[in-house]
Amino acid sequence: MDAQKSDLLQGTLDMLILKIVALGPIHGYGIAQRIRQISKEVLRVQQGSLYPALHRLEKRRWLKAEWGEAETGREAKFYVVTREGRKQLEAEEANWDRLSEAVAMILRTAE
Amino acid sequence: MWFRKTVEACLDTELRYHFERLVRESIASGMEPGEARRRARLEFGGVEQIKEDCRDVHGRWLEDFGKDLRYTARTLRRSPGFLTVSVLSLAFGIGANTAIFTLINAVMLQSLPVKSPERLVQITRLTPDGKPLSVSYPLFQYLRENMKSVSATAAQMESNPAIVMDGAEELVNAELVSGDHYSVLGIEPAAGRLLEPADDVIAPGSPAAVISYRYWQRRFGLSPAALGKTFNLQIRNRVFTIVGVTPPQYHGARVGRDPDITLPVSMMLNDTQRREPAFNALSMLGRLVPGAGIEQANAEMQVLWQAFLQRVAAAVPEKDRPRFLQQRAAVLTGANGLDLMGFRGNYAAALLVLMGIVALVLLLACANLSSLLLARAASRQREISVRLAIGAGRGRLLRQFLTESFALAALGGCAGLLLARWFSSALVSMIVSGDDTLVLSADPDWRVLAFTGAISLAACILAGLAPGLHAVRANLNPGLKQTRTGCHRRLGRALVIAQMSISMVLVVGAALFGVTLAKLYSVDRGLTTDGVLTFRLRTSERYAPARRWASLETLLHRLSALPGVASASAADTLPISGLRWDSRVQVEGSGESEVSAFNAIAPRYFETLHTPLLSGREFGERDTNAGPKVAIVNETFARYSFGARSPLGRRVTSSNVTYEIVGVARDAKYQNLRQEVLRTMYIPLMQIEGPQPSNCNFLVRVTAGDPMRLAPVIEKLVRETDAGLWLRSMHAYSALLDRSLKTERIMATLGAFFGLLALIVACLGVFGVMAFQVSRRINEIGLRMALGASRGGIIALVLREVAVLLLAGCLIGGAAALTLTGLTRKMLFGVTPTEPGVFALAAVILGVAVFAAAWLPARRASRVDPMVALRHE
Repeated sequence: MDAQKSDLLQGTLDMLILKIVALGPIHGYGIAQRIRQISKEVLRVQQGSLYPALHRLEKRRWLKAEWGEAETGREAKFYVVTREGRKQLEAEEANWDRLSEAVAMILRTAE
Repeated sequence: MWFRKTVEACLDTELRYHFERLVRESIASGMEPGEARRRARLEFGGVEQIKEDCRDVHGRWLEDFGKDLRYTARTLRRSPGFLTVSVLSLAFGIGANTAIFTLINAVMLQSLPVKSPERLVQITRLTPDGKPLSVSYPLFQYLRENMKSVSATAAQMESNPAIVMDGAEELVNAELVSGDHYSVLGIEPAAGRLLEPADDVIAPGSPAAVISYRYWQRRFGLSPAALGKTFNLQIRNRVFTIVGVTPPQYHGARVGRDPDITLPVSMMLNDTQRREPAFNALSMLGRLVPGAGIEQANAEMQVLWQAFLQRVAAAVPEKDRPRFLQQRAAVLTGANGLDLMGFRGNYAAALLVLMGIVALVLLLACANLSSLLLARAASRQREISVRLAIGAGRGRLLRQFLTESFALAALGGCAGLLLARWFSSALVSMIVSGDDTLVLSADPDWRVLAFTGAISLAACILAGLAPGLHAVRANLNPGLKQTRTGCHRRLGRALVIAQMSISMVLVVGAALFGVTLAKLYSVDRGLTTDGVLTFRLRTSERYAPARRWASLETLLHRLSALPGVASASAADTLPISGLRWDSRVQVEGSGESEVSAFNAIAPRYFETLHTPLLSGREFGERDTNAGPKVAIVNETFARYSFGARSPLGRRVTSSNVTYEIVGVARDAKYQNLRQEVLRTMYIPLMQIEGPQPSNCNFLVRVTAGDPMRLAPVIEKLVRETDAGLWLRSMHAYSALLDRSLKTERIMATLGAFFGLLALIVACLGVFGVMAFQVSRRINEIGLRMALGASRGGIIALVLREVAVLLLAGCLIGGAAALTLTGLTRKMLFGVTPTEPGVFALAAVILGVAVFAAAWLPARRASRVDPMVALRHE
């Protein structure tokens, strides 16, 4: 079950992260929570995929990191989307729309 | 460093925050704190794994490399023995390779320091085996006028004239060049101007000359006053004016030479020499026109060459014409300078063979390092298994192994570079010893450095890869349980066999070169060089022939009268000095004239050299220019021309002079020791026809002791006899002979040196592997002894294993040597490259060395106390 979910996430994790971060500065734990909540517990991101993905996006300069005080009063690493990150997100969203529409079309036609 | 720490700290804080939030969440939902932590840890998975993945995201090989280097430095510092042995063996291998390469570079690869040297071509006639030969002035002119693919052509030749400057006479190395020589090369003067086509014409007035930077430095202390200075060239009796200086990096167009003075060539040739197509004394350089390649130039050359041959063939005697027309010519690359007289050819073969030898030495050093690394990896097997078990990547571990060998190779490379400097200058001094005109630089340039870097890297990969791959491929389970696998043993034994095979090849090579040298020394020379001193004597070019003869005769008399001198004589050409004088000789009644070796000698020549006369007499005082012309022939000449009949009283004609044979001398070597004895005819020095040589070689036999003891006395005697005589290069004749075997001695010395080195390395390898085996089998040996095996039986057990390795090494090495030694065929003498005796000898030497190395571990095995051994572990 879990494996299937992460399979689905594989190509789209970067996009989901960008989307969540685009809503406002957020730390890794927050991103994991948001994805779980928004997807109504359907999508669960493993820490093992999340953090390498965050570092990857940071390296590509789509995200940048800032240190700030979290809700608990502890210091945490907050991620913010950069301009290039936003562009990338738009491109990926458009792409995703086209793709899902296409998939949906095939599924409908094949019915 | 601080940056790395911050990144690490950040990663840690980031993940810890996430972990703590998970724990809080669980506690908030009413879980026990302890249970909450456990759950969080479970959900989190391997923290280190996540960290590794994050680190992987940032390109971090450089940081890893730094980490690995620090780790390597730490571990190496802890094992100084291993460090010393491996760096030394690599330094030796890399140093030897770099040194030989430095010489190959200097002799064969370095370009002339001129404008686009790759466009330069050498235009030459060819020897039957394709070596460059000099050309004649008419050919030079013909090609200069007709060749389209080569834009400018220049000719040059070497000369060794005497000049008078400021009243003093001195000998200089001169390069004679055509007027466009410097424009073809495209070099700029260091001072003044260089020679131009306008200088190279025969006209009255004071012709121009150019001096080299080094001569400028030596003779004039770089003073600008050198320009405009005049000197008299004795041989032409003309006054030349110095007009400029060549740049410091320019050493003339020939490999290995460094002329002092450059003169226009047409001044130096007489009319006959300029017209005669058989007077081949020039080397020819050209520059390809834009767009033309060397093949195109060569094709054009073939057409022009045939046309030229046809044109001049008419003047050649009928019977010589077919051979004359068979001559070949070619356009060769001139980028590395002119190579005539085969200087490059002489050393190229030796250097390439040496390169092969040192490549094997490096391979051996790598095999040695490889087995050392393997042993280290074996002792680290547990650590490696643990690291693999907690999730270290195999690639990552392999990189660490390679870092270790990289560090060793880098250290070895640096040490090798230092070693190479010393080694190549030693080699250069071996090569140039006794040849004062030879100039060879042992300075490493970028090519040498690149070469050293490349072989160090290759050594690193070669030595480090196999043990590294082997170690990280290890099975986890047995590694953790600390039992050893047989795979490590197999690789170790393969490496020992490799070391023995390489040693075998090197020992065979050393034996072949050693036998060659011994055979050359023991070959029948027909003359005795021990106790003979020789020197060259040059007479002033101002002297008329009669004056010259008088001086030489007086000197000979005075020399013979010196206390301690048994006899003294002189010869035009010194035997076994690499030179030879050939002349056409026609024997009375045989019609055809044939080429024979020729020499002109003074009285008591054969007595001085201890060459017995078989019949007749030596030349004497009465055989002067005025007396009847006489000759002595050697045995081979007598047998060839007269068979069993006596040659005495028979007549031979050479250069239109008829001589009567008055003696037959025993056969003696002429040009060098390798050559078969040639048909040789001797005439009295005083009866030489035509232009008189200004040089001759004196031979002085002492009654006892070192002939060089007389050197100061002789020098004084020559000075006192006549101020117009120059004594040059005084040597013991045997030392001169040693020098003629320079290449052979270098090969034998270096061959023996590297052979010995290879033996030592192979012995170390055998010792290491056997000691390791014995320590591993100590239980088994104890058991055997407890069951009644004798000490001898245990020794035999160990040695039997060595014998198997040795047999494999000898067979593989022998087979490799069989194919490799063929490359040295031309350098050998009195021994074939596949001589079974040499192979057997090499196998015996290797065997003795290997068994000696295995003896210690074997004895240790036999001294094992069964009780102690069985309680071991």
